[in-house]
Amino acid sequence: MSEIEFRDAIKQALDEELARDERVVFFGEDVAAAGGVFAVTGGLQEAHGPRRVFDTPISELAIAGAAFGAAVTGLRPVVEIMFGDFLHLPMDSLVNQSAKYWFISNEQASVPLVVRSAVGAGGRFGAIHSQMPVPWFQGVPGIKIVCPATPRDAKGLLKAAIRDDNPVLFLEHKRLYSMKGPAGEPGEVLPIGKAEVVRPGDDLTIATAMKSVHDALAAAEELQGDGVSAEVVDLKTLRPLDLATVRESVVRTNRLLVVEEGPHTGGWSGAVLGQLAEDALEHLDDVWRLTTADAPIPYSPPLEDAFLPTAERIVASVRERLGLAAPSNPVTSTV
Amino acid sequence: MSVAQAVEVVMPRLSDSMEEGTIVRWLKRSGQSVSRGEAIAEIETDKATMEFEAEADGVLEIVAQEGDTLPLGSPIARLLPPGSTPAAGGGGATAAPEPSGGPSAGDAGRAGAAANGASSGARATPVARRLARDLGIDLRAVTPSGRRGQIMKADVLAAAAARDRDGDRAAAPAPAAASESASAGARPGAAAVEPSGAKGEVTVIELSRLQRTVASRMSESRATVPDFTLEVDIDMGACVDLRERLKEHADPAPSLNDMVVKACALTLRDHPNVNAAYRDGRFERYGRVNVGVAVAGEDALIVPVVRDADRKSLGEIARSTRELARRVREGTIEPPDLAGGTFTVSNLGMFGITRFAAVINPPQAAILAVGAVEERPVVRDGRIAVGRLMTVSLSSDHRILYGADAARFLADLRARLEAPLTLLL
Repeated sequence: MSEIEFRDAIKQALDEELARDERVVFFGEDVAAAGGVFAVTGGLQEAHGPRRVFDTPISELAIAGAAFGAAVTGLRPVVEIMFGDFLHLPMDSLVNQSAKYWFISNEQASVPLVVRSAVGAGGRFGAIHSQMPVPWFQGVPGIKIVCPATPRDAKGLLKAAIRDDNPVLFLEHKRLYSMKGPAGEPGEVLPIGKAEVVRPGDDLTIATAMKSVHDALAAAEELQGDGVSAEVVDLKTLRPLDLATVRESVVRTNRLLVVEEGPHTGGWSGAVLGQLAEDALEHLDDVWRLTTADAPIPYSPPLEDAFLPTAERIVASVRERLGLAAPSNPVTSTV
Repeated sequence: MSVAQAVEVVMPRLSDSMEEGTIVRWLKRSGQSVSRGEAIAEIETDKATMEFEAEADGVLEIVAQEGDTLPLGSPIARLLPPGSTPAAGGGGATAAPEPSGGPSAGDAGRAGAAANGASSGARATPVARRLARDLGIDLRAVTPSGRRGQIMKADVLAAAAARDRDGDRAAAPAPAAASESASAGARPGAAAVEPSGAKGEVTVIELSRLQRTVASRMSESRATVPDFTLEVDIDMGACVDLRERLKEHADPAPSLNDMVVKACALTLRDHPNVNAAYRDGRFERYGRVNVGVAVAGEDALIVPVVRDADRKSLGEIARSTRELARRVREGTIEPPDLAGGTFTVSNLGMFGITRFAAVINPPQAAILAVGAVEERPVVRDGRIAVGRLMTVSLSSDHRILYGADAARFLADLRARLEAPLTLLL
């Protein structure tokens, strides 16, 4: 199977959907002429023309407003908000217009809109360009939040997002752009809202998304040496959460660790634990979260590294929790 | 501390070997308020009648009636929040809460949790609780391994495995033990080598539950039973001759020990205080004569029981002792084979031991220790002759058997063995 880079997978998805459906348009800051600050979208304007792929002024609200207007008048816009840290700027358009329109228009018009955005820490971008905005949108009915971990999923899920008739927030982790992985089938469209067991195990379920999936897989490999068989669930979509897959796994392993790159308070990992407690309490032997501290992401490289839920921290957390190691001083103390 | 919601009170484990208990008397009525630490019932165990205290404040709702004998963990009552009214008829009408889901009876048995440094709160994880219910495991008997002292799923599974391996057999009242499965990877029987100084390497071996049972019951016997031992020499010449003759007619031929068992059984019928026990300030005399025969198992002592030995023929006794010994060797001995003994015979003659005193198997009144038959000079009619003598000793519980009683029993036993034809009747 051929390999593909994560950023190329996204470009391919955009390219294929632009070619497939003339209603699809793509715009954002520096996406066209410059090809995107993460070099994801180069060449798309040349391929599909400046009427369908174009740059915008630096106004996230204008971008989102234009996208909403385009969507309700028959186009299928894909926009890029360069950094997820600025998703609060178009929030009114996304939350109060795009996410609600289907419902308050008495189902007369849906909003087929995709917002792509680069998210996540570990890239030395500091406190204002490294955040994980999932919780900001977690409680907004009408929006889907897609969070791929692999090139194949990035492509297949972005194609699904573009074909979806409702607003989709498509989050791309910066640390994954240069990652290579197996390409999917040509033209493959993957289902939004479906998690996948990416490593089977018996003793523990680690549920997570995006970059943390790879950290969890590395941790599971390390834990194998301790005789701990960890199952890893790639959630892939964080709204709606595929809790049935998590539940099915936890019923077998009885232990659940949810790894969330994001603040401990108010995160989606709490929602996973909460729902599992409601649905499957009798199957739970232990449940916990590994998140980041309730603090801004540090700029200092050593501090940023220590801040994130890395494979090493996942391993240490599991060892401690399973009684294989003495409790360590937690890096993430909640304030 | 009052209970916040109805809490089940279950039959507590009041002694190591206790498997069931009897409600002798309720000291409080249904609907009465009770305080933590207040005695609410008298419960009789296999050892004693003990007062049982409330673990929390609340309103008592009685579930089990006086005289009921119930296994450990069975609901006997509920503690309701203050101000509640018990269901009419004494409970059972409302949904039972999770066992040990709150400050329930017998929390002393959960001392392991406290020893683990547990603070309040965590006791058993939800899946551990569900599994314990499904597998019939009493959570109070499970050693917790959780990081906050809570019982985890693995702890319940380990307890179930331990029970399945040997637990049922420990239920027998005899100091019974079965051969430890050598293949079992569980802790009991596992050896750990610790570096040591003057004594060299120290290999620490965890006891199986059966070995623990033997240890605790033997200690209890020595610590609580005021015993004395009487010895007598028995001329076994007639028995040896009889056995030679029976060899031509019986397969298997009864062993000398079978004859001792049979002779004991017949003699026991005439000595009701020997076929008896001292329990809780009373004598218990038993209507059946069930003679336990101590058998050395692998790493353990097992006492299979020949039931109604007084009514079995010598041939039947021979067959049943061989069958029981075979089951012991094969590890297939079942609890019914080990239960219900009223007297015990322990024979070390096959090792050349000439005389020894055995430890009483409580609550039995006595145990007979049998040595080897050996040729010794005896004086008969003023002449020295060669006799085939066997020394037996009877260790007795002086609370029920006095010196003369025990002596009379030994004299009658000796008479039967020296004139063994009555064994064939």
